[in-house]
Amino acid sequence: MATDLAFEANRQPSPLLQWATRHRVALASLFLLLFPLVIPFKALAVMILIYGLYALGFNLLFGYLGLLSFGHSALFGAGAYLCGIAIVHFGWPWYLAIGLGLLAGMVVALVIGALAIRTRGIYFAMVTMALSQCVYYLFYQAVDLTGGENGLRGVNVKFITLFGFQVDFLNPLSRYYIICSFVIAALWVLSRILASPFGAVIEAVRENEARARASGYDVMLVRLLTFVLSGAFCGLAGALLALHLSTVPIETMHYETSGLAVMMCLLGGMGTFFGPFIGAAIFLLLENLVSVWTSHWQLFVGLAFMVCVLFFPRGIWGTVMEKMKA
Amino acid sequence: MITQQSTKDQSIIMRTEGVGKTFGRFVALKDISAEFRHGAITSIIGPNGAGKSTYFNLLSGAFEPSTGTILFEGRDVTGMAQHKFAHLGIAKSFQITNVFPLLTTHENIRVSLQALVSRFDIFRPRTRLSELDDEAEALLERVGLAGHRHRLAGSLAHGEQRALEVGMALASHPRLLLLDEPTAGMSPEETRTMMDLIVRLAQERTVILVEHKMKLVMGISDRLLVLHHGELLAEGTPDDIRRNDIVKRVYLGQREH
Amino acid sequence: MAGLTLDLIGLQLFAGVALGAVYVLLAIGLSLIFGMLTVVNFAHGAFYMLGAYVGLWLMAHGGNFWLCLVLVPLVVGGIGLAVERVLIRPLYGRGIDYPLLLTFGLSYIIVELVRITFGKSGYPFDTPDVLQGAVDIGVGFFPLYRLFVIAATAVILFGLWLFLERTSFGLIIRAGARDPLIVRVLGVNVSKVWLIVFGMGTAIAAFAGLLAAPLQGVIPEMGGTILAEAFVVTVVGGMGSLLGAVLAGILVGVVVSMTSLFAPEMAKVAIFALMALVLLIRPQGFFGRAGLMS
Repeated sequence: MATDLAFEANRQPSPLLQWATRHRVALASLFLLLFPLVIPFKALAVMILIYGLYALGFNLLFGYLGLLSFGHSALFGAGAYLCGIAIVHFGWPWYLAIGLGLLAGMVVALVIGALAIRTRGIYFAMVTMALSQCVYYLFYQAVDLTGGENGLRGVNVKFITLFGFQVDFLNPLSRYYIICSFVIAALWVLSRILASPFGAVIEAVRENEARARASGYDVMLVRLLTFVLSGAFCGLAGALLALHLSTVPIETMHYETSGLAVMMCLLGGMGTFFGPFIGAAIFLLLENLVSVWTSHWQLFVGLAFMVCVLFFPRGIWGTVMEKMKA
Repeated sequence: MITQQSTKDQSIIMRTEGVGKTFGRFVALKDISAEFRHGAITSIIGPNGAGKSTYFNLLSGAFEPSTGTILFEGRDVTGMAQHKFAHLGIAKSFQITNVFPLLTTHENIRVSLQALVSRFDIFRPRTRLSELDDEAEALLERVGLAGHRHRLAGSLAHGEQRALEVGMALASHPRLLLLDEPTAGMSPEETRTMMDLIVRLAQERTVILVEHKMKLVMGISDRLLVLHHGELLAEGTPDDIRRNDIVKRVYLGQREH
Repeated sequence: MAGLTLDLIGLQLFAGVALGAVYVLLAIGLSLIFGMLTVVNFAHGAFYMLGAYVGLWLMAHGGNFWLCLVLVPLVVGGIGLAVERVLIRPLYGRGIDYPLLLTFGLSYIIVELVRITFGKSGYPFDTPDVLQGAVDIGVGFFPLYRLFVIAATAVILFGLWLFLERTSFGLIIRAGARDPLIVRVLGVNVSKVWLIVFGMGTAIAAFAGLLAAPLQGVIPEMGGTILAEAFVVTVVGGMGSLLGAVLAGILVGVVVSMTSLFAPEMAKVAIFALMALVLLIRPQGFFGRAGLMS
């Protein structure tokens, strides 16, 4: 879906844009570090961090590689559940649990990816969606481990200890900064990936699959690897969600959560570095505001989807980028 | 494999043995056995629908043949994945212009070069591969696009895009260059430039060319294969083909454009 | 396993075919729409749900079930026509993902509007009196209504077959499903064909929703779960293939029904395991062409 959209990899960038691109991680980090000082609701700020990271992982596949997955809820949910299960059932320390969540995202991505990549084009959305529903039912059935319909409860982490320091995880602000440090690390890794030789391959495959293949790239493998990398970000986001909520609702796995990532990406601007976070922030802020006066928030989600697709396909940041180029 | 068939004749770079291709019940190509000489320009010609493009797609690895085998430098490459062909030393340009439209001209070449050097490095900055930049620069010069390095490939004129594609094909340092109607849709002037380029490129490598404009390739080809209705009608030097009565009959009344 | 007889398996097989019938109808619509418009309709489940609710409303306002069978597809099909004309048409030529995303958003709106109108909780849907009870089908007593579902599906399929085989419009659709370019080459008014195909697809989905309503009741979320299963059916059968949709629909129905006999908790998972297996062995599905959508 890429070809008629503007991408962040601007070809004749203005000096300001060049500067912003070079320091994108630093800029994003600065913003995220100052963010809780501006926004009064710390819990919401943490949700924006987590869903921003989730959308970021999704964006790697959708925005940069051009593959629309509707199965990312399984990667996100697997990260959340495995992190939670490690803490609740096995008493793992928080850092190992997060690592397990990240790994779970990658493994589920590998399995779903390996199957879905065998199909082409538009099939991909359907197959990933169906396979994520399969994961949903598997977790739904494994009541002993996952709590089934009620979700996994009791993912309680009160303190984060590291190098002898003990930080209160129940304090909203310190919780924000702990989760923020993971997100900043993830941003840095993503930036490295995009700037790497493989980042160039991702763009090439998005731009022209047949040409990439003729040039000597194994397109299937490129897709699979990108899917797995995307799974790492989403798995990490899921793990952080489990720590933040202290529970993992079964809805985390549902394909509507995949739609959430699509929505945030679309809203913020797919294939842009900052877009997913902007999308997540606006989406969650709106959700909080709208939910105050109506219980039919879903109606707005649907409307926002259609408006974005019909009139606003570049998203907010994509449009800003467009204006800066012009 | 040690039992691999070795080329009896070192001067043969590619050989097809009884290759055919069917799509469902439609036989696009049947039983083509032919050899392509090392260092030569061989053109595959024939009227529209003769099976040229199908044959090209078999040679370049885009399709797997339904029957027969394809040998490159004595090695069986039948059914090998498309992306491996570039690594073997076979490069192709497409019939329909095929570039990375939203990448710059320079990046188009650079990413093609990178395919042989670094495909799955996800952490090192790509700017470290600075030797690729220089090489891309040289290739752009080679195909006459040095002045357009910062332009998006999608914004180039048609002839320029085709030249860019040839540049991308050259990036894999191919010993065999496959070109599918490289002058399709070009102005007479662009066509001349392209033909000159092909002749120059052929000094260092083998070229196989698909073309339906017979006149165009007569002058530059060392050998010609004539396909008709999916079968090999004739084979030989331009003079042989010119004198061939069957070929004359097939082309009779075929207007050239 | 005690009590597990051949008769029971036979009955369960029939139940599977009845369940499969609903899948077939959904997958046929998805496949038609995809084959012609190359649009993956993520709102297909919502139209299915809408069919059940429109039926519910008609019944509450003096209609009877037989009237519903006619009116529900007309009403929802009409909505489908409007959706194609107003919302999807501007997106043609803008990449295959856009219509998909649009219909995804649309499904949220349809579901939420139904929640606003009918409430969030579900309703039972009465089986029409004449179709209550069970009949002996040789291996045991089988619910009459399920037999009716199978028969009604067969009628729809037969009608569709006649339409596709015997009318010039059907010829265009068949040609188009094989190669979308052909239709344009033939000089047919493509946008009209697409409009009608989308309307037909949604009408059949609504019909399926109505048929399923007495079996499972109606809730706003009923379309969401079945959408994933309908996707499985189209993938297994091969996108764009109507015969594939029919066979895969019945197969999936039977697989679900058989799994629920032996391992009820695995019934849902079995559907997707089947798809995974098909993807491994034959990624294009039973009747899909390898090169489609390349």
